[in-house]
Amino acid sequence: MLQVILGSWWIYPLLMTLLVGILCPVTGALLITQGRLLQANLISHGVVPGLVLAFAIGIDPSLGGIISGLIGALTAERLALRRKEYGEAVINTVLAGSLGFGVLLIPLLKIRIDLESILFGDLLAAGPTDIIRVSIATSVLLLLLKNSYQNLIYLGLDPEGAASIGLRVPRLKFSIAVVTSLVIVSSMSAVGVILVIALLAAPGLLGLNQAQSLNSAMIRSAGYGLIISFIGFLLAIALNLSPGPLIAVLCLFSLILSDKYILSKATKFLLHK
Amino acid sequence: MTNLIAKNLSFSYGKESVLRDISLELKTGTLTALVGPNGAGKSTLLRLLQGQMIPHQGEIFLDKHPLGANRTQVALMPQRSSINWNFPITTEGLVALGQANAANQSCCKTEASLQRVGLVALAKKRLDALSGGQQQRALLARTLAQNASVFLLDEPCAALDPPSREQFLSIIRQLAEAGLTVFVSSHDWGQALNAYDKVITLDRTVLAFGTPEEVRSKLQSISSMGNHCCG
Repeated sequence: MLQVILGSWWIYPLLMTLLVGILCPVTGALLITQGRLLQANLISHGVVPGLVLAFAIGIDPSLGGIISGLIGALTAERLALRRKEYGEAVINTVLAGSLGFGVLLIPLLKIRIDLESILFGDLLAAGPTDIIRVSIATSVLLLLLKNSYQNLIYLGLDPEGAASIGLRVPRLKFSIAVVTSLVIVSSMSAVGVILVIALLAAPGLLGLNQAQSLNSAMIRSAGYGLIISFIGFLLAIALNLSPGPLIAVLCLFSLILSDKYILSKATKFLLHK
Repeated sequence: MTNLIAKNLSFSYGKESVLRDISLELKTGTLTALVGPNGAGKSTLLRLLQGQMIPHQGEIFLDKHPLGANRTQVALMPQRSSINWNFPITTEGLVALGQANAANQSCCKTEASLQRVGLVALAKKRLDALSGGQQQRALLARTLAQNASVFLLDEPCAALDPPSREQFLSIIRQLAEAGLTVFVSSHDWGQALNAYDKVITLDRTVLAFGTPEEVRSKLQSISSMGNHCCG
């Protein structure tokens, strides 16, 4: 029976959907409360040159992606320090430059690589290696939460105060960047490095609403993420569409539907009809 | 019961001198105001006194001992703007963070701090559901939970309406009467100064020090300070 299930074409894609549907929103809730979602977006673009280079020299692409994502994050942080008021512009410049560099490397290194599946995902091609990558990213995230949960709350709530009570803020921020890179690279096969931002942001936003603690915000975000990803997976199969973009569109819809103002207007409109 | 003494403190950011030759003494059980215009160096002075930053010249003592190893005895309540008020946390969760680095964490301390600022009934409320005045009291409770004896408050009354400000001042007055040393920076050198035992006027250096009446009369001769500013 187990062999039949494991041999089914849908089992790894489904497992991947469920795991990424939990991992990304939990990470997203953490990143939103730390004000580091823009950095996550930067990392998601910054991994591309590393992926391409790793592919060219024949090592595990995820390793290259993590390293180049971190280099991008550290470069942006260093440059933003000198232009504090315009940090957002600096991060966006590094983000665009990294992606551009990654795209240029493909013809320059004369390699054949499916850029579309890196950027937008190819969930149906997920295999055991992808499950292992997501499991590693989940373990590292859990380790960070177990060892530094209280410190992460302090840092997100009062960054200056965190430094004043002796927390090692740069180390903590670097740990968050490492976890973010791992999560993004491991989610690549499911929703792609670009669309992963939707799964980091939307369920996180929904989960944070009314949550009494970071813990509960993460659990709620995971719940929303799981539902969105699962529906996206089923719809993708039923409609023969790419799951990554479909999940991103569902994220947008869920955010619109959660908006009380829009919801009340829509209800009034429907009732009036 | 602790006296905080600063002797000849000077500090600069790069080449820009921010504080020059600051000497002051904060006595046990007193409520002291630190007033001065924007850029006077108030926040920098509070950070020096808390040990977050090291003065380029001068020394700080806590009951005759150098501040260094005893800096946990000094707690700083940051400015309102440095807090992420939308963070998912309850009032009691915020207050419990005051003991984040304490060896012996105790829920009684959290409860007692909440009681001191009159927020027990709102302990389970999310932080962003509180009013501005309640949020400031919650932040004060977190500072009180730190087991310190000297409390430095950085513009706690900024952006508070007059009733909330009165309430806040009455709470910190009670803290001083209970034997704690409280030092409060403020933009407000109007009638609100009467609530304090002592006032220090700062504009990169100490311009005046004394009772509110004494400081007011000294300030009349300093035209650059302006008349009255509420913050």
